[in-house]
Amino acid sequence: MVDNRDINGDEEAVTTKELTLSFGPQHPASHGVLHLVLDLQGEKVLRADPDIGYLHRGTEKLAENLLYPQFVPYTDRLDYMCAMSNNLGYVLAVEKLLGIEVPERAKYLRVIAAELSRLAGHLVCIGAWGVDLGAMTVLLYAFREREMILDLFEMLCGGRMTLTYMRIGGVRWDATDLFKEKCAELCRVMPGRIDEYERLLTGNRIWIKRNKNVGVISAEDAIDLGLSGPNLRGSGVSWDLRRDEPYLVYDRLDFEIPVGQVGDCFDRYLVRIEEMRQSVRIIEQCLRDMPDGPFVVDMPEIVPPPKQDVYKNMEALIHHFKYVSHSFKVPKGEVYHAIEAPKGELGYYIVSDGSERPFRLKIRVPSFVNLQSTDHMSRGEYLADVVAVISSLDPVFGECDK
Amino acid sequence: MNEKKVKIVKRDTPGALDLAKKTVFLDFIKGLSITLRYNLSRSITIRYPDEEKWIPYPRFRGAHTLNRDEEGRELCVACELCVKACPTNCITVVPMEDDTGKGIADRVAKVWEVDLARCFFCGYCEDACPTTAVRLGRDYELACFELDKARKTKEELLKPQSVPEDFEGGIIVQAKLQRTKSGIKVKPNLWKKKEKK
Repeated sequence: MVDNRDINGDEEAVTTKELTLSFGPQHPASHGVLHLVLDLQGEKVLRADPDIGYLHRGTEKLAENLLYPQFVPYTDRLDYMCAMSNNLGYVLAVEKLLGIEVPERAKYLRVIAAELSRLAGHLVCIGAWGVDLGAMTVLLYAFREREMILDLFEMLCGGRMTLTYMRIGGVRWDATDLFKEKCAELCRVMPGRIDEYERLLTGNRIWIKRNKNVGVISAEDAIDLGLSGPNLRGSGVSWDLRRDEPYLVYDRLDFEIPVGQVGDCFDRYLVRIEEMRQSVRIIEQCLRDMPDGPFVVDMPEIVPPPKQDVYKNMEALIHHFKYVSHSFKVPKGEVYHAIEAPKGELGYYIVSDGSERPFRLKIRVPSFVNLQSTDHMSRGEYLADVVAVISSLDPVFGECDK
Repeated sequence: MNEKKVKIVKRDTPGALDLAKKTVFLDFIKGLSITLRYNLSRSITIRYPDEEKWIPYPRFRGAHTLNRDEEGRELCVACELCVKACPTNCITVVPMEDDTGKGIADRVAKVWEVDLARCFFCGYCEDACPTTAVRLGRDYELACFELDKARKTKEELLKPQSVPEDFEGGIIVQAKLQRTKSGIKVKPNLWKKKEKK
């Protein structure tokens, strides 16, 4: 029997057939390789079904065949928009398993790096969101600031996207004076630049029309679906791992957790903008409070001797050979450590059998979990609003497909 | 204490004033004033590759190079630590004995190959090298038409890099686009610095 009713259940003179539309995986607004199967009734979405896996590389399986330090570059490829946070989550999990505490300076450097990458990630999110909804300008301005951050990363660790800055037991390079200077300069200009984005977007009537009351998700539903990060806070849930389960030096820093009220795309946008301001504040405080001292732990089995010694000293050279060829053993056990990545809760679950390689490694990626709320958010909305919903969820497929 | 740190984001509710602002297109004027101001300001983009080129900072991890010491001997002793440290198995080293003074020891690399198509540019090989032989240099134009070209052999890697290792970097310099038979090259003039910003 043909169902002649429209979405509201009313009989209609003109019958429209349900249509299945494949959105992506090569759609310019689908944030990478998202394939969304949409069931449409006219312009209204009945069901949105994300089909993922186009970028699957088997990262978790790869980890089982790699030494613990060798997996760090692989984590860069998860959320490539903000690689520092991925590095950080992994090294913190391994350090928890090893039971080591990194020196103060390394902690501050890690926080600076992670917050810079949060800025970089949110800039891409807001820029790409603007392009998806037809506001090209903001992307170019956001990328100008992102370029400044990438230059900072290049100065700090030699990479621009795939950073590999963190190492188990500290960081790989110390911050130079030039880096601190440029970082302070970024903190000076950034609030003004964020004001600029707000002037371009927040008051703009098109932006408001496209985002306000679109993709609404209540706090209860957001918690039930396992949302995390800015998407959860947009719904008014005050949950941030940096404050609730503090790691590194976040408990000493003064910052605010922005939360929304309604849980629509506009709230998620406002939360991200405010988070960028708070990140700038965190970086400023870290630059001010950062002590001098070592940037790696003083544990010869975890961290090899400095390269200068390796060239000169025979014992150091032998130790270096031993470290590179055999790495270190990690005690038997299981550990989970989660951090507040720009996209949400990023957790690493490691099962160790006491050898140099993880027995099993599971990554709890925020994009993957956040993406499952697409259906909830876009059901009953117009097709064009699906674009706003996806942009507001900010999935990155390197991370989602692993 | 935790509740103190919460900040509820401001959400304007449309009122009469808002409507008045909308009728005079204040929101568009605000946005356009920014774009118009930037229209008159100086350009921040680099005229790459025709005239300018970015020389990265010293820690930059670009294409591999193999170094020689001051006397021109190969620093690589084919210890294969870089092979062990590599997370992607992209380096191949075959050692051989050679006492002709080609290398700093009587063990040199017969084959030293890196597959840049597999490489992560993580710099672990550089960290692992006990003699500063392997370095990730500052060449970053690595695109090629054939996959074979991404495999760099020892002979290619031993050639001096376009930017010397002790060069400061982090600047924009004058550059020239060159079309050769092997492809396009952007040749920088390291001593002609260009100011930006």
